[in-house]
Amino acid sequence: MNRCSHPATGPVTKTVQWLSLGITVFAAFVTPVAAQPPGLVVSVAASVSDALEEIAGLYRAATGVTVALNVGGSNTLARQINEGAKAGLFLSADDIQMNLVEKAGRIVPGTRTRLLTNELVVVAPVTASSFTLSQLMEGRVRRLAMGEPAAVPAGVYGRLWLEHERAWSRVESKVVPFPTVRAVLAAVEAGRVDAGIVYRTDALSARVRVIARVAAADHRYLDITYPVAVIRGPSEAEARRFLQFLQGPAARTVFETRGFGTLQ
Amino acid sequence: MRQDAFTLDVRDEASVEVLGLFGPSGSGKTSLLEAIAGIRTPDRGEIRIGERTLFSSAHRINLPARERRIGYVPQDALLFPHLSARGNIEYGARGGDCGSVANILHLDGLLDRRVTTLSGGEKQRVAIARALMTQPSMLLLDEPLAGVDRDRRDVILPYILRIRRELQVPLIYVTHDRLELASIADRTLVLSDGKIVASEPAASAAALD
Amino acid sequence: MSAETWAIARFTVLMATLATLLVLPPAIAVGWVLARKAFPGKALFETLVSLPLVLPPVASGLLLLWLFGRRSPVGQALDAAGIEIIFTWKAVVIAMMVISFPLVARSVRAGIEQVDRRYEQIAATLGAGPFRILRTVTLPLAARGIAAGGVLGFSRALGEFGATIMIAGAIPGQTRTLAVGIYTLVEVGREDDAWVLLAISALLAFGAIYLSNRLLDRRGAL
Repeated sequence: MNRCSHPATGPVTKTVQWLSLGITVFAAFVTPVAAQPPGLVVSVAASVSDALEEIAGLYRAATGVTVALNVGGSNTLARQINEGAKAGLFLSADDIQMNLVEKAGRIVPGTRTRLLTNELVVVAPVTASSFTLSQLMEGRVRRLAMGEPAAVPAGVYGRLWLEHERAWSRVESKVVPFPTVRAVLAAVEAGRVDAGIVYRTDALSARVRVIARVAAADHRYLDITYPVAVIRGPSEAEARRFLQFLQGPAARTVFETRGFGTLQ
Repeated sequence: MRQDAFTLDVRDEASVEVLGLFGPSGSGKTSLLEAIAGIRTPDRGEIRIGERTLFSSAHRINLPARERRIGYVPQDALLFPHLSARGNIEYGARGGDCGSVANILHLDGLLDRRVTTLSGGEKQRVAIARALMTQPSMLLLDEPLAGVDRDRRDVILPYILRIRRELQVPLIYVTHDRLELASIADRTLVLSDGKIVASEPAASAAALD
Repeated sequence: MSAETWAIARFTVLMATLATLLVLPPAIAVGWVLARKAFPGKALFETLVSLPLVLPPVASGLLLLWLFGRRSPVGQALDAAGIEIIFTWKAVVIAMMVISFPLVARSVRAGIEQVDRRYEQIAATLGAGPFRILRTVTLPLAARGIAAGGVLGFSRALGEFGATIMIAGAIPGQTRTLAVGIYTLVEVGREDDAWVLLAISALLAFGAIYLSNRLLDRRGAL
């Protein structure tokens, strides 16, 4: 007993199918033209990616070299570099991840240096009801967004801080981990969580308000610094030049305007 | 349906208890039964039984199969394979007496068997019983002996006659075998290419070609 | 296998089972409609039903995120009722249901199409109404195909990642499924533990596919 497997498709479906095919073919032809080969790839921690974008624009205006940014959580970026990703420069949000890359022998010796500092803040959505820091410490918020506390620098710092305040055990079950601190910020802005731990530099967003600031001076054990290093590979020379630019006055201005501390 | 519209009016045949439907394969016998049972909708025409109009294209009447109270026994029995013989027979039962029907058709030993294990003749009898249990006003039999061995046919025929005699249910009996026709039909309609070409008392059916 | 790994495996199987049970009734209804009914716009309906199958799961996840978030009427209604979906186990189940739905519905459709309509017609002559026919003839005869669909949906749910991580997150002990767990463990550098989860996932997947094949194979013997 044989049956026909499908009835003939109607005109609407046929049109959509042809359209999709056309778009796909078109995109395949257009894409190679649109993409320009970058002069340098920089793996950069999410929290400082906006600043880097601005600086890359300045660098291109000054030198004509295009810098492409590979943005992510520093733990992800470190893993990628160790697995052979073609980055020329790595700007990490903590020393732990940079250490992993250094131990794997991927850094050009003598190029590692500390570039920036930052602070943690606790933020809440502007639209939500408020809470105090002590309430947070007692675990009386429903959901707290953080970078993954086991590996994302912002999350590692956050956990360190809460442990120091002896609040971690109460807060732990409320934590929603995220792969980058940018994702944490997005979650707070969208109101999907009640609170989040981000960097002071992220809290400039208009859709969150700062509940508390974890001042560096009072919490020296945190020592939030951003190390940068040149990665072994074909773009070494270009990376050195860009690193120099990052330490120059133009870049400094950009960093400091956005709330980062700069080191020399 | 490729048939010409015609009116199948059984009222006049009320005294007739078995109406034979004779014709070669492809003449539309099964289609006609399906139309009467309500499984197939004709393009045009009327179907009436007694005072009841089951279908009328002119008056836009089309009674659904489940309301027609017509028992239909298709050519290959079509027993539900996932039920036992008893399950099949009781499927449409209207609180009737399963015992007496099973008795008339000698099904008592088979009731709990799975239908896939039954012979052709046994399946036919179960299918007839299943249709009878709905207490139909009429029974349609589509070549009931087609799936049965030649030598077993004489065994089955008496059951059908018993139904007519003991349960007083009118039958429409479809066959292409003149001998069957002669033994069972009181009156015969002859079908050819979807049209009724003759209506004969059974006696002269043997003379048909 | 550590306690944590065991907990993740158990949680995932539990959620996938619940998701499959919940998705079966609507999938059977839709599968039956697609198999037996003709109506204007049916092709469009079929396309919509198949959407979670062709969209990347993260895209479906994004749609769900909007649906249950604060900016949609559904999300606001749930909020007002005090019901939490995002970042809870309920989101895990919902993600699994949405992603596996088209698979189950299509299997149900195939199973029902295999059922000879004449059985349904005979049942009608025996006085059964449409719902009774569905319940006592169509579905029992399509049972193997439906069960195979359920197993297929279950194994898809077990491996679901994209939509899950969007609306349920990767909260340890609360919403970390096997697939999400593998991803997260690699991210934090615990690759050996990730391989254990991989092994469990592979075992479960093998078992599910084997079962599904057995169910579909023996149908010829009916």
